[in-house]
Amino acid sequence: MEVLSHLAGGFVTCLSPYNIWMAVVGAFLGTMVGILPGLGPSATMAIILPITFGMNATSAMIMLTSLYYGAMYGGSTTSILVNVPGESSSVVTAIEGYQLARKGKAGTALGLSAIGSFFAGTFGMFALAFTASTLAEFSLKFGPAEVFCLVLMGMFTIIYVGGKDITKSLMSMVIGLGLGTVGTDIVEGKARFTYGISELLDGVDFVILVMGTFGIAEVLESAEEFMKIEPMKVKFRDLFPRLAEVWQCRWAILRGTLVGFGICCIPGSGPTIASFLSYGVEKTVSKHPEKFGTGVIEGVAGPESSNNAAVCGAMVPMFSLGIPGSGATAVLLGGLILYGLKPGPLLFVENADFVWAVIASMFIGNVILIIMNLPMVPLFASLLRIPYSLVYPAILIVCIVGAYAVASGLFEVGLMLVFAICGYFMKKGDVPAAPMLMALIMGPMMERNLYQALNLAHGDLTVFIRRPISATLLTIIVVMSVIVATKRVRKARGIVREEEE
Amino acid sequence: MRKADRIFGAVGLGLALWSYLESRRFHYMAEFTPGPGFFPFWVGVTLALLSCYLIYDSFRREPSKQDDKKTLPERHALLRVATILALLFAATGVMKFLGFPLTLAVFTTGILIILEHYSILKSVAYGVAYAAVTWFIFEYMMKMGFPKGFLGI
Repeated sequence: MEVLSHLAGGFVTCLSPYNIWMAVVGAFLGTMVGILPGLGPSATMAIILPITFGMNATSAMIMLTSLYYGAMYGGSTTSILVNVPGESSSVVTAIEGYQLARKGKAGTALGLSAIGSFFAGTFGMFALAFTASTLAEFSLKFGPAEVFCLVLMGMFTIIYVGGKDITKSLMSMVIGLGLGTVGTDIVEGKARFTYGISELLDGVDFVILVMGTFGIAEVLESAEEFMKIEPMKVKFRDLFPRLAEVWQCRWAILRGTLVGFGICCIPGSGPTIASFLSYGVEKTVSKHPEKFGTGVIEGVAGPESSNNAAVCGAMVPMFSLGIPGSGATAVLLGGLILYGLKPGPLLFVENADFVWAVIASMFIGNVILIIMNLPMVPLFASLLRIPYSLVYPAILIVCIVGAYAVASGLFEVGLMLVFAICGYFMKKGDVPAAPMLMALIMGPMMERNLYQALNLAHGDLTVFIRRPISATLLTIIVVMSVIVATKRVRKARGIVREEEE
Repeated sequence: MRKADRIFGAVGLGLALWSYLESRRFHYMAEFTPGPGFFPFWVGVTLALLSCYLIYDSFRREPSKQDDKKTLPERHALLRVATILALLFAATGVMKFLGFPLTLAVFTTGILIILEHYSILKSVAYGVAYAAVTWFIFEYMMKMGFPKGFLGI
């Protein structure tokens, strides 16, 4: 009851016209940032932070959290419509979402994504309010060994994310891991694979790879034939998801929400791992896993719910312990300190009004976003009616802008074009690009946590099985591997039997 | 597709060798932890094993319908792809000289005329419109600092 009264107080604070306006501005900016590849929520929040210094801390925080939410909503739009993920957490949305768009069901995908995100955000807000302190205590038990095992588990979902050929998926993943090693290494600070190119010292940015292998490669493949691709004739009723489809996705949304919130309570995990794991979960529990990759609505609803719930999950360690759960929450944490607040267990005591107002504002932000986004779904989906010959130059321009935005340099644009050529030939050879992207994001996390875990354990490898949480995670990985292997063997036996008959 | 698998396998072997050679420039292990050469080494080894398996599998398995599918498109289609890539590389190359908006205008106009056979007037109109909208959003509103050309924009 105490939590509810605090929450009610938070709603009173954040429902002032000025704070609502700040939430609207943040949500709008976030949606735009999400749609545009290249400029992530962390960078935008960092740019906007100095502008918020004149505001009071609560209003500023409401704007920044709404921006973060908005970016998660907006990231799915370009993933679904043109196969260019706006955020790393939307990569997995592109796999099913784009296929749905090609079938003329872009509205369904966009609508489900918005509804799932709304549910996940609302659930996440209440979960954050009720469980922040308990979960924060548990998340403290996650050291580098546990995070390493968690990332390993995320990597395992690559088998699900990838295409039908596991060998090619794994090769794509290993190439991604290799790309993740480019740049300055964390052990001795030496430059690997850079060959004197200073732009590579910070590594290969995810945006460059995603726009090359997803965005431009897709355009190149579509452009093979004289642009006789007919604009999609989408019926008006297909511009919205049907109630039956929303109902069909109810469990996917719930599962995605739980995965997203749970994973992001762990510092250092982030919404990307959550969305990939959610996709893996959906494929595992599905009665038709073979249909994944062809446009399955649960494959959009689950991960999209997951990455929005992840925003709330990432707030748990930030508010309760002062530990950022992701890059974006690190910027928020910086903001809290700049506003003169002390993140940590005492924040709930010393600045209770502030914390509860921000938590309540997450719900307000979600309502604003669904009001803003659902009516826009037909508009976004209608973009597919424009002739493709006019759409693809725009996609190429957005990719150039996005690549340039990474480091304000043309080297990144050139690198993106090289990846585009690779991505095109990978498509031709039926080699999935998603595992490579995922490995590029998770590889450096894996290396860093492996290094930290072994350093703390003085090189003792048993650290991964001695600690209960990491041992549990490793057991889950082994069990999942056995299940996948058994399924494969059964399938192979079935094919052999059919051929014999 | 089997031929494509062999080519991809060979490329994989090349990348594996590159990663292995790069790993040799660094320490494999530090005092307690993997050194800078650890990850590139294992990337190389794993990629080599997977590539060998892919090549072996392409020779071993019975040809399927998927294998009969042509990997690369017809010549004219490849030419279109090459033209887009050439225009993209050219746009990147001349952006410092022409400036951001002018490059985009020329790039879009070029694509529409050469590949889509739009009329010159229509192509120029679209090119200018795309460049203006992009410049307004990203340069004027968001101050992203794109290269300025000889026209000062």
